[in-house]
Amino acid sequence: MPRESLLVTTLVELADSLVDDFDVIDVLTMLSDRCVEAMDVDAAGVMLASPGEELQFIASSSESMRVLELFQIQANEGPCVDCFRDGNAIVNHALAEEDDRWPRFTPRALSQGFRSVHCLPMRLRGRTIGALNLFNSKEGPLDPDDVVVAQGLADVATIAILQHRSSLDARVLNDQLSNALNSRIIIEQAKGMVSQATACNMDEAFGRLRAFSRNHNLRLTDVATSVVDGELGPHALA
Amino acid sequence: MVAGPKSWRWVTIVNDGRGSDSNRGDGSSGEWRKTGAERLIQILELMTQGRNGRAPRTLCATAAEIVGVSGAGIALVSSGGTFTRLCTSNDVSAKLMEIELTVGEGPCLDVCATNGSLSVPNLLSYEDPHWLAFAPLAGSSGARAVFGFPIRIGAARLGALSLYRDRSGSLTDVQTSDAYLMASVASRAILSMQSGAPPEMIATELEHEATFDFAIHQAAGMVAVQGSMSIGDALATLRAHAFSTSATPSALARRIVARDTFFDPVTRDWRELDPR
Repeated sequence: MPRESLLVTTLVELADSLVDDFDVIDVLTMLSDRCVEAMDVDAAGVMLASPGEELQFIASSSESMRVLELFQIQANEGPCVDCFRDGNAIVNHALAEEDDRWPRFTPRALSQGFRSVHCLPMRLRGRTIGALNLFNSKEGPLDPDDVVVAQGLADVATIAILQHRSSLDARVLNDQLSNALNSRIIIEQAKGMVSQATACNMDEAFGRLRAFSRNHNLRLTDVATSVVDGELGPHALA
Repeated sequence: MVAGPKSWRWVTIVNDGRGSDSNRGDGSSGEWRKTGAERLIQILELMTQGRNGRAPRTLCATAAEIVGVSGAGIALVSSGGTFTRLCTSNDVSAKLMEIELTVGEGPCLDVCATNGSLSVPNLLSYEDPHWLAFAPLAGSSGARAVFGFPIRIGAARLGALSLYRDRSGSLTDVQTSDAYLMASVASRAILSMQSGAPPEMIATELEHEATFDFAIHQAAGMVAVQGSMSIGDALATLRAHAFSTSATPSALARRIVARDTFFDPVTRDWRELDPR
């Protein structure tokens, strides 16, 4: 599909999913997937700041351990931390062994085959609430149009997280962030249970949870909660 | 980061009970703090060595001081739904907790029922029918505003943090963020306590651990299935094993996810695979 068509489809898909009582993780995962499809990047993910201002992983185009570890490290250092702290985009940052800007992040990203990294801030009325992170396995700059598209998708991600846009007091905003981040933990707990019970890897476990939620028109977090609470057997997902 | 003797008591009341309300911001919107890590260090310092030569704080006294309210209490909830007091920071918060657990209504119970935060800035004019007994009793004990925050780790609902103030009014944005941070610290401290780590170790553990480590949560899910236990028990079991083998929970979790270590359901003990 040409990129323009893909973008229009993505925006329609997002607009559609933002209407109902949607699942933040599901929408942000879809958005990360679309980043990879619509732009010249190999992996994408979103990190959110907790109410205590700690950056945490929330969604990614890949659930594989190697990609998740790159987000894990960024709780402490990396492009997302800098982007979040300064509120400025980091575009076309070439990863190199001699670069000591991020001493833990850079070697790990290089060993996973990535050569450049980009990060777009997710901003709301002067406050940065998180960052959209893009990884390339090729060297060389991102197409300038891609940068515009990426910031646009980061802005959509911000809207997705802040569901009650009409009443944005601190407690509502913090509840949204806290619930989104707690949802991610529930999903990781459920992935572990599905993986153990059905002898599949974490990637497949996530796929099963997501497919079940789609097929039964349920929120991803609700499906994961049912699994962890023992109301839905992991085998029922397969 | 944190130096000095480590000691931290769970139920000893050491707070002066007044908090530091006068030092807080005016609550204007847009007042956002960007120093979460610094705040966390401050919390850990209060819990380990105290400040200005004062005694180390309990979890609840730390919460009251960090958020800047009159007092704080933490209630734990069992998987069967039974509430118990973990700690309170002063006489009034102890009284509020006693009232809540006696009449069966109040901030901790509401927070656990809704799995979301709660704000009652003016307790005396609060006309929620669920609080017909709690509100007047709490008011006559000295509380004018009450707030609640869930203490949870994913689907594991551990309890709630309740805060009170002796005058009415909402929390500022910064106070609200601090209360969430404190609830997050409490969730990890409670797990450490349940896993049998000695009190002097708990703050040290917190200092070295990320709030979110996906491997720990995945491993907890795996252990819950391996041992047919709740996710909360699995998290505590995992931590207890890490503690007893001097491994970090994170390192143990990665071995579990890699299927090098598992919890044996027959012996109810841990086993190593793939001895290298």
